[in-house]
Amino acid sequence: MIRFTSLARLALSEYFVLALTLVWLLAMLPFVPGLGTPENLKNIVSSALPLLILAVGQTIVMISGGIDLSVTAVIAWASITGGLTISADGGLLAGHALAPAAGVIAMLACGLFAGLLNGLAVAVFRIPAFLATLTSMTFFGGLAIWMTKSKNLHRLPEAFNAIGREMPLSALVTVLVAVLAWWLLRGSNAGRWFYALGANPRAALVSGVPVKAVTFAAYAASGLCAALASVLYTGRLETASPVMGQRVLLDVIGAVVIGGVSLTGGRGELHWTAFGVFFMTVIDNSLNLLGLSNFGILMAKGLVILAAALVDSWRNRYAAA
Amino acid sequence: MPLPDPTVVLDCRNLEKSFSRVQVLKGVSFQARSGEVLGLVGENGAGKSTLMNLIGGVHMPDRGGMLLAGGTYAPRNPGEAAAQGVSFVHQELNLFPNLPVLDNLFLTSFQRTRLGTIDRKAARERARKLLAAVELAADPETPVAELAQGERQLLEIARAMDANARVLMLDEPTTSLTRTEAERLFAMVERLRSRGMSVLYVSHALDDVLRICSRVVVLRDGAKVAEGPVDEFSHATLVSAMVGRAMDQMFPPRSERPEPRVALEARGLTEPGMLHDVSLILRAGEITGIGGLMGSGRSELARVLFGLERVSHGDIILNGKSILKLTPRERVRHGMAFVTESRREDGLFLDLPVEPNLQIVWPRSSDLGETAAKLRIRAANLDRQPVRQLSGGNQQKVALGKWLTRRPVVMIVDEPTRGIDVGAKFEIYCLLQELASQGVALLVISSEIEELVGLCDRVLVMRRGELRREFAGQTLDPESILKAAI
Amino acid sequence: MDSRATKLVTVLALAAGLAGCATGPRQTVVGVAFETLQTEYWVASRNAIEAELKKQGAQMLEAIADGDANRQMEQVRNFIARRVDGIIVVPKDAQTVIPMIRDANAANIPIVLFNRPPAKSDAKSVSVVADNYSITKETVTYLAQQATKLPGKRKAAILMGDLADMNAISRRDGFEDALKPFSGRIEIVSRIPTEWNQEKALAGITNALQAHPDIDFIFTSSDLLLPSIVSALKNAGKYHKTGEPGHVWLAAFDGDATAYRMLKEGYLDADGVQDVGFDTAETVRAVLALKAGTTLPAIIVDKGFVITRDNMAQMAPRMWGANLSGK
Repeated sequence: MIRFTSLARLALSEYFVLALTLVWLLAMLPFVPGLGTPENLKNIVSSALPLLILAVGQTIVMISGGIDLSVTAVIAWASITGGLTISADGGLLAGHALAPAAGVIAMLACGLFAGLLNGLAVAVFRIPAFLATLTSMTFFGGLAIWMTKSKNLHRLPEAFNAIGREMPLSALVTVLVAVLAWWLLRGSNAGRWFYALGANPRAALVSGVPVKAVTFAAYAASGLCAALASVLYTGRLETASPVMGQRVLLDVIGAVVIGGVSLTGGRGELHWTAFGVFFMTVIDNSLNLLGLSNFGILMAKGLVILAAALVDSWRNRYAAA
Repeated sequence: MPLPDPTVVLDCRNLEKSFSRVQVLKGVSFQARSGEVLGLVGENGAGKSTLMNLIGGVHMPDRGGMLLAGGTYAPRNPGEAAAQGVSFVHQELNLFPNLPVLDNLFLTSFQRTRLGTIDRKAARERARKLLAAVELAADPETPVAELAQGERQLLEIARAMDANARVLMLDEPTTSLTRTEAERLFAMVERLRSRGMSVLYVSHALDDVLRICSRVVVLRDGAKVAEGPVDEFSHATLVSAMVGRAMDQMFPPRSERPEPRVALEARGLTEPGMLHDVSLILRAGEITGIGGLMGSGRSELARVLFGLERVSHGDIILNGKSILKLTPRERVRHGMAFVTESRREDGLFLDLPVEPNLQIVWPRSSDLGETAAKLRIRAANLDRQPVRQLSGGNQQKVALGKWLTRRPVVMIVDEPTRGIDVGAKFEIYCLLQELASQGVALLVISSEIEELVGLCDRVLVMRRGELRREFAGQTLDPESILKAAI
Repeated sequence: MDSRATKLVTVLALAAGLAGCATGPRQTVVGVAFETLQTEYWVASRNAIEAELKKQGAQMLEAIADGDANRQMEQVRNFIARRVDGIIVVPKDAQTVIPMIRDANAANIPIVLFNRPPAKSDAKSVSVVADNYSITKETVTYLAQQATKLPGKRKAAILMGDLADMNAISRRDGFEDALKPFSGRIEIVSRIPTEWNQEKALAGITNALQAHPDIDFIFTSSDLLLPSIVSALKNAGKYHKTGEPGHVWLAAFDGDATAYRMLKEGYLDADGVQDVGFDTAETVRAVLALKAGTTLPAIIVDKGFVITRDNMAQMAPRMWGANLSGK
């Protein structure tokens, strides 16, 4: 009986996902070749970093009651925009001393634009977030391919590539994003507005919350995060690709949901998301090393996310009692 | 050992229940008989809701048990309770407004044709019979959204009757009803009673309880403190049993007021179909009431004043400046406050605790503990327990309290004491009087005429979107208001 | 968590880990990362590589990226983390593969590229590629010689591959250069970009036939696009065998089963073939040789061959498409 209650308490606690990840790692160590090597652990971290940036943006949107399906298309669009700006193969600012910075700024501008467009659709035109961001996903994805005629862009400046490729730099960017996001949600007054909007949009309006501004801000944050994640992905591959990041949407939503952020809004913490990202990355990495085909991995991830949703609803029921 | 009484349908013995280490029911016993309407009264927090939830299968008692018609009765969920003949009509009706009457009646009990599909024709027949029994003139295919509140309530009762209920529990049934609808309900209850149904009637409307119940049980602080035939009780004795002391007045005396000056002026507010040329003045330090029937435009007026609805003509002046074009947020910043009609829908963040709810309008307000204490908000804690779990009275205090961390200039309160027990009502009246004495211009909308007369300095009556008459001083009495409203 | 449960789990995990460490002499392990297995060519190549590795006594670890460059990078990194003895990779993009080669270089693991060479850089690798240019030139020259035996002028069209792919560029160049000497007799009227996509090819060739109904000389950069050409020709009423009136001179590249069949039936006149047998054997040999410390040239060239109706009997055994269904 004692064992059950303490296990149950763990299951209800916010560290459940973290514990699960560690247990999985330990359990898989003897069976998965190469799982515990220092290189692999480094691989896990470097895969997790851009995903974490994406998930932070998604968390902010979800807390405010929305969802952003367009992030992967924004990654692609930002990637090629950066390439078109600074690639040595005919980029606008090719060879310029400030090219790396200009590239990052151009990509951030894409993320901001996409975010504001999403915000406009949701806040002003009252289009449901799911539909609005699905539409912008299609639009920006198509735009990316159209702008480069499906081609990849190469020969990006070394300094730019370094951000995505060198672990200390990408880790620095990720930590900065996480800290900024934490300050926004928990350290500032505006943070409660996001939670309020997600918890009860009508009550938020009545209580004087600037509902439209908060919505714009949430989607802008998500767009900017997508752009930063794109900087990391693009630099790591040293390639600007119009189809970058397509498979990552499942990972990002999965990580946020597994972490325990509520899909209906009003509830969530950044460290929950971090645990969720860690979990998804470890699963992905271990299944990859096991030699599971890409489709096998997709099926496994689907099952895992389903299980997480089940556990979450169980938790809600027991926590309410 | 005495022989079991054959007329006893529901026998509750020593029911105990605790939530999070707070004991809410401390061993309550009573019996409900067939052909009897048993009134259950008590302040919120007295344990009424919990008792009903135990009987209705929403929770299970920690100790004690129940017998239904002599047999053990221990439902593990509302479905089981309903299956055994105990129907619970909640205060917030459990209907699906987008579905038709038919589907709401028989959602889980549709008969099927030989092909296996739902037999809508047979269902329509069944529905017509049930609707006739409760005298609800509605087409079974009408979407419930088109029914008035009173009609929806009768529909819930029809649903209960379809389930062959032996015990019918009605929780605050008249809160959202017009007077006419309430009368129809009482007639219905009487008919059910005379057919042998055992009715548990829970209400804060003590006059109604005294009128239609055969027996009354009074709860206070989780225990039964009084029980007996209705003749043994009066309004006053009921109140004193509920509260534990004699309450001479329902309403506190009028507080000391500063010199009145105009705070807000509405001019010619017009929106076709909603308001017609409504003009009024609110003064600081004055409590203005708005009465009228449901649908007369009172809540719409409130929403227009606060900026949640638009008008095609007219203007609103606050402290000399027109605020017609301002968003609700901007009006808040200019000193307006709005406690809405339905706190659960748009007045509270139900899943958040008291503290974030109080902080939402003016964040970084210090001394929230003081605010909560001054308002006498009773909760297990201020920073963890979700507001959803508080009683109606405490919830309303939170909905009010969030505006009071900075003193507002104009405060609109729509139905300040809906679904709240006597004790909490008094506390809220005191609060409103105090706010007026501090110079706040108050606009109170209420469907309870007694409340308007007992609380307000002047009462405006609306009818069909127009402001018809104003009553103050000598002319301020219930009959006049009622006449003007109809 | 309950401390007894934690201790139990930890002990079990450690025991299993130690058990896993105790093994016998290690087999050579080669990681094979394919960009995709979407065409017969890749499937045939993969199977041939697997067979060759087995013959050499090595174990193959497989990873398919399904067109996702990020995925491929992760898969290559995983191979490196697992300390494989060698890596064979089919990259999608000649530039994008460079960081992956660098990672392998840094870990001292030999890396061989199959079928597609990387772009120029300081990263060290060995590539086994077919001489797309020469094979194409030879193929198209043969076709031009046949086509100009008949009097009159020929109108020519080329279906080009994804121009980010070095092979596609080489084949296009081979086509252009092959036709230069025939410029008086053969006019190139249409250059159709297909990006290796069958739908694009169908749309492109259909449009070309509408604009130039007298096209009678077609080269496709890949057998993959043959079905689209057949469909368009049928719709235009121009699908005829060699020797029949109205026959459109057709040449292709790759060597798959469709080409073999069309060649036999007489609809296809010539096919440039990448010698899969040679390519895969060389690839495996290269990776094992690099592991052993041998130095190899950066590019190993497969000269391939042209299969025509004339030499079919002799060349068919070497054509991988001809041997797929075991005929």
